[in-house]
Formats: sequence, C-alpha cells, structure tokens
Amino acid sequence: MTWYRRRTVLLFMALAGLGAGFYLGLDPRTLVEPRTLRVLADFFGASFKPTLIAADGHSLWPAIWSGLLATASFAAAGMSLAIVFGAGLSFLATSGWWDGERAGRYHRFLGATVTAAARALIAAMRSVHELLWAMLFLAAFGLSPITGVIALAIPYGGTLAKVWSEILDEAPQDAANALRAAGGSPVQVWFLGLVPRVADDLASYGFYRFECALRSSAVLGFLGLPTLGYHVSLSFDNLLYRETWTFLYILFGLIVAVELWSSVLRKRRGWA
Amino acid sequence: MSAVSLALLVVWAWAYGGFRFTDLFQNQSRENATRFLREIRPFPLQDQPWDWTTWFRWMSETIGPNASEALGATLALSVAAVILAAMAALVVSVFAARNLAGPEPFAPSGKPPSQIARVLHRGLVGVTRLILLFARSIPEYVWAFLFITMLGVGAWPVVLALAVHNAGILGRLFSEVIENVEPSASRTLRVSGAGRGQLFVHAILPQSLNRWLLYFFYRWETCIREATVLGLLGFISLGWYIQDARAGVRYDEMVVYVGLGAILILLADLVSAVARRYLRSG
Repeated sequence: MTWYRRRTVLLFMALAGLGAGFYLGLDPRTLVEPRTLRVLADFFGASFKPTLIAADGHSLWPAIWSGLLATASFAAAGMSLAIVFGAGLSFLATSGWWDGERAGRYHRFLGATVTAAARALIAAMRSVHELLWAMLFLAAFGLSPITGVIALAIPYGGTLAKVWSEILDEAPQDAANALRAAGGSPVQVWFLGLVPRVADDLASYGFYRFECALRSSAVLGFLGLPTLGYHVSLSFDNLLYRETWTFLYILFGLIVAVELWSSVLRKRRGWA
Repeated sequence: MSAVSLALLVVWAWAYGGFRFTDLFQNQSRENATRFLREIRPFPLQDQPWDWTTWFRWMSETIGPNASEALGATLALSVAAVILAAMAALVVSVFAARNLAGPEPFAPSGKPPSQIARVLHRGLVGVTRLILLFARSIPEYVWAFLFITMLGVGAWPVVLALAVHNAGILGRLFSEVIENVEPSASRTLRVSGAGRGQLFVHAILPQSLNRWLLYFFYRWETCIREATVLGLLGFISLGWYIQDARAGVRYDEMVVYVGLGAILILLADLVSAVARRYLRSG
C-alpha cells in the first residue's frame, strides 16, 4: 500500500468525522459542564461499591441468578437455531458444491441461481438488527419466550452463514478436488472435503458469535424478556446505581467466562 | 467432551427457557399474526388491490418528510462514534501492547530491568486490558441507556455509548496489531537511542496503519447496525421513528422504516468493502 492511498482514506475519514460532528451539533464543551460531570462522577463512583443487598433489604442473588440463567438460555437456544440456519445457508451460498469440473451447464446454472438466492436471503436476515426482529415478532405474535429466540436466531444465522461460506470458499481445495475426481456427490464433497479442512476456523467463529449472542440476549431484556438487561434497566430507573453496577459486573463476568472457556477449548483442540 | 458439554448446554437452554414453537400458533397468536399481516400493508391499500401510484403517494407523504433526517442522523452517529472510538483506541492500545509497554521495548539495554519496573509495566498492561475488556463486554445499547438517562436525550450520549464499546474492541485489536509488528525496524531505532514515542511514530505507526484501517471499517459496519437501533432510546434517528410507529400501532410505517435501515446497512457494507479493497490493492 502506498502512502498516497492511505492519505486519501485518512483525509476522507477526517472530513466525514468533522461533517458528522457538525451535523449532530456535537460540542465538546457541553461534556465538561459541571452538572454533567457531577452526574457522571456519581454513577462511575458507584462502580467501586456494587451491592448484593437490594434496596428493600433482601438479597440480590435470586435476581442475579435468574437474570444470568435467562441470558444464557436465550443465547444458547438462539445460537443452536442460528447454527442450523447458518449451516444450511452457508452450504447453499458457497460455490464449491456445484462449480466442479464435472458439473454440466445445466447444473452450473441451477447452482448459480440457488447460490445467488441464498446470498440475498442471508443479506436480508443480517441487515435487520435482532432488536428490530424482536419488535416485529412481538407485534406479530405477542410476547412469548420463543419470539426472543427466533429474533436472535435470524440475524445470527445470517451472519454465521455469510462468514462460514466465506471461510469455506477460501478453504484449500485439495481434498474436495480429490473427492470430486473419485465421483463424490456435492454433499459428500462439502462434508468430507471442505468442512473438515476448515473445521477449527468455523468453530472458533461460532464461539465468538456465541459471546455476541450473550450480549444481545442481555439487551433483549430491555424489551421485557427476563434477561440481565431487564434488571439493569429496572435498578437504574430507580436510581439504584450500586445495584446497576452489580448487574453490569455479572454480565462482564459471564462474557469473560465464555472467553476463557473458548480459549481452553481452542488450546485443547488446536483451534487456530 | 467439549461437544457433549455444548450439546448439554443447548438441551438445558431449551428446557429452562420454556421455548415452544407451538406458542406461535395458538389462537391468540394466530389472530395477532393475521391482523399484523393485514396492517403492514400501507394504510390506503389495506383491503384494496395493490396500486403503485397510491403506494408512491403514501410513501412520499408519510415517510418522505422524515426519511432524510432519520437516515442522516443514523449515518452521522455511526461515523462520529467510530472515529471517536478509533482515536481513543489509538491512545489506549499503546499501553495495552506487551512489547511497546514492556520494561524494555524491543531491545535489551545493558542491564536487565529491575523487578519493580517489570511488575509496574505488567500492571499497567493488565489494568489497561481489563478496562478495555469491560468496555466491550457491556453492549452499546446498555451504555446508551445509561448515558441517555444521565445526560438527557441528545447526540452525545449515543455517540459516547457507541464509542466506549467500540473503543474496547478496537483497543484490543489495535494492540494485537502492535504486538504482531515485525520487530526489526523498532529494534534498529531502539538501539540507536529512540524513545517509546519515537518508536511509535517511526516504526509502529507506519507498520500498523493498514491493519488498523481495515479493522476501523469492519467496526464502522457494526456501528451503523447499532446506530439504527439506538434511536429506540429516544434520540431522533431511524430507531426513534420505528419506535414511534410501533407505539402508534402504525405497523405499515414501522415495516418501511425497518426496511430503510436494512438498505442503509447494505449500502454501508458495500462502501466498507470497496474501501477495504481500495486499501488492500494499493
């Protein structure tokens, strides 16, 4: 890369940043007004004294525990469905299963059409945020736990399908070509020739998305599902900053635990 | 072993959460869904055959006046936030990189570093990383909720919320880039007497900028996605119009705004992909 290109991009970025700041009326001086600073100091000061006793004198543990389990269960259920969507769509969205040497013109045309349709579907699934899917489903079906799971699974399935199919498209083709030459069907080539070659990459991206799913699941609590976000909003609306920090730290701990778990698995399995 | 524990987790999750697909098809839900499907048709076209002129007039009368403000604010929020995040990450990542923030950056001096220096430097890196980890494990939406309630509805709390979360992610990614820098240039500079600041400007920055920019664009894509949603919390961007239409049970408008958001995200993906290819191919 030449300096010339970097300079162009950096210049564009600076102009865009200034433009956005003026458009939104972002004035740095408003951030250092005494009132603002006092509110921020109050809130961040409470971070040093999270509490396990609720305002009414009861223990906070039951709320923590139920929020934690709900967050984990929405995320895990959503991810399991997303993996099903992602696996199916990433198969259809890779060109590897129809673009072989032995493929006839008819199959090529059919394959290209199916792949294009799958990619369009993936784009549509991904480009609507999980909270908006949740709002659409709430409006359509009313509140039931399954709507939260499906709302998570659609955009996550789309994202998994996109990234997995990109990984599979860049996979080494040696095993796939050998299987094709030996007369393997597309499904055989895909499962025996392509997937095992990049299984570690597929798995570690899946784990990263699980971490994201935990965060999204917590946020779904703001729509009224019983996850950690619900407890954060409830305690904060009552100005119980110390309780809010407890729930924030619990969410933090959950994310860290999953990151540690995935790094342990990575080491044991040799995931890159 | 790990496969078994993952499978158990999934089974537990479905059982614990009480997630049943049949909930979607109960009488009440079915009535709800039928009504919803009727109401997402533009209002003048409900129970009418589809007519493009009516649709166009409806679009330009209800959506038209708000579309540019909604899309403009969403775009501006994401740009301002990601640039702020990148600037913060640039500063913080220096302290989170083990090589540059170590007691002896890149080349040993005459005597080995003292125990105290070693502990202090490790502590600095550890604390910096912990703060970055915390910043990114709290979702943007939660940061935005907290900041908006504290600072009042406005652009700043939304921008700050997006920036804090993304500074956590970019700070980690940037510092990993610094740690993976090819060290020979830095060593040469160090041996000829350069300090940390000079190392950063003359070796680290030119070697890392490419990757930093790639990560920057990758995060910008996600910022746009989140910026559409943060409007739900009250600042006038796409999410606000979505929330407003939902509150007024104008599902026809709600669906159009969701669709506009999707188009914006697809366009941003495209711009980001073009920018990254432009950077790579130079």
